[in-house]
Amino acid sequence: MEESNEFSYPGLYEVIFMKAEKFINTVLNWGRSNSLWPLTFGTSCCAIEMMTFGATKVDSDRLGVLFAGDSPRQSDLILVSGTITKKMARRLLNVYEQMPDPKYVIAVGACNVSGGLYHDSYNTIEGIDRIMPVDAFIPGCPPRPEEFLDAVRVLQKLIKENRSKAQINGNIR
Amino acid sequence: MEKENSIRLNIGPVHPAMHGVLKLILDVKGDTIIRAQTEIGFLHRASEKIAETRYFANYYPIMDKLDYVSALNMEILYASAVEKAANIEIPARVVYIRTIMAEIQRIMSHLVFIGSFGEDLGNMTGFIWALRERELLMTVVEKISGGRLAPMYICNGGMFYDFPQGIEEDILKALSTIENKVNHEYNAMFTKNQIFLSRTKGVGILTKDMVKKYGITGPIARASGINRDLRKVSPYLAYDKVDFDIPLENEGDSYSRFVVRTREILESIKIIRQCIKDLPAGPYKAAVPWIIRIPKKDTFVKQESSRGEMGIFLVTDGGDKPYRLKLRSPTFFAIHALEELLVNIRVADAFVIVASVDPVMGEVDR
Amino acid sequence: MATLDKLKNGFKGDLEVMTNEPSFSVISIKNKKLIKKLAWQIKEEFDILYALTVVDYSPNFELNYIFSNYKNADLLILKVNITEKDFAVDSITDIFSSANWEEREAYDLFGIKFNGHPDLRRILLPEDWPGHPLRKDFKVDDEIRNWTGLDLKF
Repeated sequence: MEESNEFSYPGLYEVIFMKAEKFINTVLNWGRSNSLWPLTFGTSCCAIEMMTFGATKVDSDRLGVLFAGDSPRQSDLILVSGTITKKMARRLLNVYEQMPDPKYVIAVGACNVSGGLYHDSYNTIEGIDRIMPVDAFIPGCPPRPEEFLDAVRVLQKLIKENRSKAQINGNIR
Repeated sequence: MEKENSIRLNIGPVHPAMHGVLKLILDVKGDTIIRAQTEIGFLHRASEKIAETRYFANYYPIMDKLDYVSALNMEILYASAVEKAANIEIPARVVYIRTIMAEIQRIMSHLVFIGSFGEDLGNMTGFIWALRERELLMTVVEKISGGRLAPMYICNGGMFYDFPQGIEEDILKALSTIENKVNHEYNAMFTKNQIFLSRTKGVGILTKDMVKKYGITGPIARASGINRDLRKVSPYLAYDKVDFDIPLENEGDSYSRFVVRTREILESIKIIRQCIKDLPAGPYKAAVPWIIRIPKKDTFVKQESSRGEMGIFLVTDGGDKPYRLKLRSPTFFAIHALEELLVNIRVADAFVIVASVDPVMGEVDR
Repeated sequence: MATLDKLKNGFKGDLEVMTNEPSFSVISIKNKKLIKKLAWQIKEEFDILYALTVVDYSPNFELNYIFSNYKNADLLILKVNITEKDFAVDSITDIFSSANWEEREAYDLFGIKFNGHPDLRRILLPEDWPGHPLRKDFKVDDEIRNWTGLDLKF
């Protein structure tokens, strides 16, 4: 009972601080979600559809996905499009680790979701969620360019609601 | 002594200017490459092993993903191999539709080449334009087959669907747009562009002897003056019934590899127009059961894909699955030649040469 | 083909002609030691090694050398049998340069040794990859499917 006596409502300072932190977080997340610069990790077929995603008809730029840097140091989203083989796995992690926090991952194509067509191959990884955290999966072999738009919208929603893997795991600077 | 002053540069497998997942290991002295090695295998997906576990009719999706930029060519090649092994006669309409689809795919593949070649030279407009024109044909393929990059249109003995009504007009309309753009806009953007010319002319000269030494085929060989195109030399499908030329260049540099492909687009347009004109009526499919058994024999089929001569060595043993399937890929040999081609040139030009060879790692690594 | 008669005379009983069509022929040679000598003779008409296919008929392995030339699209398939006991064959890289990578691939996926090859390394798979996957006794089980390959060094 003593403990409950010690309970007090937050003071004015705490209220302002909490609100301010929440407000700042909201603004930051709004910024993060609307300027996702992708690192295009294209290895195979899905990379060609990713090219279409960046070209005129679908146009990724309207969602703030700007194919600008192509350098892991300047990107906050990695689009893993194409089969990841066992030889490539370490290279993928290497690139992923070079990206600054917070970083988001979209796994493109059936191969990266579950192994897809190559589920019984001896040299592919059945889903990249075995080696790294993934925020959004795009099924399809290969997916249509419009589905990339959808995945980006989903990721933006996750970031705004603090639900992306980087935010859950606390990998935010 | 040379080795002491040189720096080893590892480029790829993840590099914005690298096509797919090719890795170059360059020993550089100053800005000049003194020794070049290539490393492949980053996309080895075991297509040949998977073939031994799939029915003949179920292997088409994997063929799609081999050379994913020219998927229909791969499908047609595999269909020809199975049909030759199983002695399946295909109807006349199938022959013509397959020819049309193969050429549509060739145009799309070459447009991707033009786009990515432009991108590697810093010519982003070329990239956007080429993909814009490709989208016209992509829409047509989508109307016909329901798929885009991997259409899954061909099956044993024919196609899954007939041409939808009125598709011929759509194809012809798309073709005339592309012909117009290639003849006029692309000239302004590429072949009359001083920057493009100075970056590609005389860069990466592939001599006739090198072509023969490494066994290179396709547009790369034709850019070096080797007059060999399987569509003419040993005609298959309807290629002996249509009239077309083989674009030839003699210089063998990056520029001629570009020009050969551009002119091949125009030749393909010519072929499609003739095929649509004489498109016979009839069934779009021979009656072939889904599971077929092929007696013990070896079959070798080769066809001209967008990148060169693709071949299939199919070994059957009387079962319903292949006993062994070997894929002969054209760029596998072309990438071998890069080790000699990249020596004594500048690092900046290396990307132009790799892009002009136009490797698709899906078929190199299989 | 005209060369076939010439070859047959040169090799007598060792060479067997299995198919002889105008632009496609299949020959097989019994003694694998003669392959280099035969390759030199084939070189007179055929420019390139088009493909090299290995077929696993355990315990025998059949090597299919497919030759072609640039003048026309003629094909010549040369079959050589090797057994598991003596798992090596002479390399023809110094005769056909295009055989270089094809032989490396055969070494990679089947483990066949090519004597005299200038650079016999794995080509598609990393150096420390266990086993030769295209052999029939290599089964794709759960262990290999679940392995992510992160411990590979190459």
